[in-house]
Amino acid sequence: MSVMAPLIEVTLRGLLGRRRTILLALLAGLPVLMALLIKVSGGRPDSDRILDTLVVRTVMPLVALIIGTAAIGSEIDDGTAVYLIIKPIPRSRIALSKILVAAGLTAAMIIPAVLLTALLLGSRNDTATTVVGFTVACLVGGSAYAAAFVTLSLFTSRALLLGLAYVLIWEGVLSGLLEGTKFLSIRQATLGVAAAFGVHVPGDPLAPGVSVAVLIVVLAVAFALGSWRLARFEIRGGD
Amino acid sequence: MTQPPSPSAAPAVTAAPNVTPALEVDHVSRWYGNVVAVNDISFGLGAGVTGLLGPNGAGKSTLLHLMAGLLAPSAGRVLVEGADAWRRPELYRHLGLVPERESVHSFLTGREFARLNARLQGVADPDGAAARAIATVDLIDAADRPIGTYSKGMRQRAKLAGALVHEPRVLLLDEPFNGMDPRQRLHMMTLLRSMAAEGRTILFSSHILEEVERLADSVLVVYAGRLAAAGDFRSIRRLMTDRPHTFTVRSSDDRRLAAALMADASVFGTELVTGHVAIRTADYDAFTRALPTVARDAAVTLFEVRPTDDSLESVFSYLVRR
Repeated sequence: MSVMAPLIEVTLRGLLGRRRTILLALLAGLPVLMALLIKVSGGRPDSDRILDTLVVRTVMPLVALIIGTAAIGSEIDDGTAVYLIIKPIPRSRIALSKILVAAGLTAAMIIPAVLLTALLLGSRNDTATTVVGFTVACLVGGSAYAAAFVTLSLFTSRALLLGLAYVLIWEGVLSGLLEGTKFLSIRQATLGVAAAFGVHVPGDPLAPGVSVAVLIVVLAVAFALGSWRLARFEIRGGD
Repeated sequence: MTQPPSPSAAPAVTAAPNVTPALEVDHVSRWYGNVVAVNDISFGLGAGVTGLLGPNGAGKSTLLHLMAGLLAPSAGRVLVEGADAWRRPELYRHLGLVPERESVHSFLTGREFARLNARLQGVADPDGAAARAIATVDLIDAADRPIGTYSKGMRQRAKLAGALVHEPRVLLLDEPFNGMDPRQRLHMMTLLRSMAAEGRTILFSSHILEEVERLADSVLVVYAGRLAAAGDFRSIRRLMTDRPHTFTVRSSDDRRLAAALMADASVFGTELVTGHVAIRTADYDAFTRALPTVARDAAVTLFEVRPTDDSLESVFSYLVRR
């Protein structure tokens, strides 16, 4: 852990730059803002729908994408990653630190939004169930997204674009049309976890066991691939 | 296109026989698709300062990155202290690298950056190590300012401080003098010389020949991905027998000396210039042995004998233009 502490510190400080933090806070604040508007306008209170459509399907993957791809991807792009690589540290520790920071920061942005939205609007069924179900689902789902995007950024400098394509095209379009693609969807697994807690999720979410398995596999594969890639890290540029 | 110098121009390894060099590059090549960045290079380096020279795009940075374990060789092996450099993180306990790219975590202060490096190195007293490194690179006054506010030269020193916190035995520096003012350069040269005197192996790349000439005990000249020459540059110059050596000689009677020298087998050209005679010879040793005798026999007094093309600049330009 002693080596991971400075890795975590420097990653956190790098990620919490003023512009990125403001952007992330605005993005994470969208569901809360929407809940406030519904509350003020006297609309029908239904936090489940807002949390499903706005948080799980849109805001959470985007927040995880911005954080995950920046956790080490931006350091590789600007050349500062080399100062972490030229250290006698097992590469798995570097990968784990980056994934932990990205997952933790994603949770820190998303969980307050889930809680505030649910508490502001309440649920048509049981608010406590909604709060617990979506909090746990977003915690594991957000971590899986963050881990996947951290690792993606180790393989390509276009991780942001590819991650966006995954969220919008693969999960947004294909998983609704092709039944089989559900098993490769973090979103579907996240909704499956929420459903396991009794939250009403539209459509046909993955079974709880399958959802947990998918998210564990995503986390494990992301960590293993990230460590593997870092062990073969090659510097870009130079003559 | 200019052809690279023939391999025969490159003397063999620089390390002394029977001594394991700290850095050993053994028939290393590195290519990117169809582009060959480094082509079958071999050499060994022991303690001391070695300058890595070459025009832009010659492969200097690629070679340094290969030695730092940041690139996998496409062929051959790079050994640092006897073990493979590639995919061996433990290597960095003994190796420090100052990369060419300027980017350093701009939100950290110089002291924080040095401390971060010390902590990642697992140094027992990171604060003490950081303070020592900051003092060594003469960055105390700016140590507590964010690196984002530093000048180019200060960033270079911050990078060097980060590379020195664990007191590495091998130090690789890619264009370390970039952006430094003359005082800072002088300080850096003194520092590197003193570190080499402690038995460290230091390799630095530079495109400023004067710096290499003043600092390096030996040079590696890379051209078009190949090692054009390695060793002491004056010795390299003497090996270039297809390039005449030129001397400037001032004497009591330049005309008579020029005429007498033309009769000597080692001299194949003399030219009288105002105040001195310029002499061209193919055989450095034979000429320097013959000159005093020829001058004595011609009753000419020699005031000054100066080789005019054994500077590093001449050697370098001969090597890259062959």
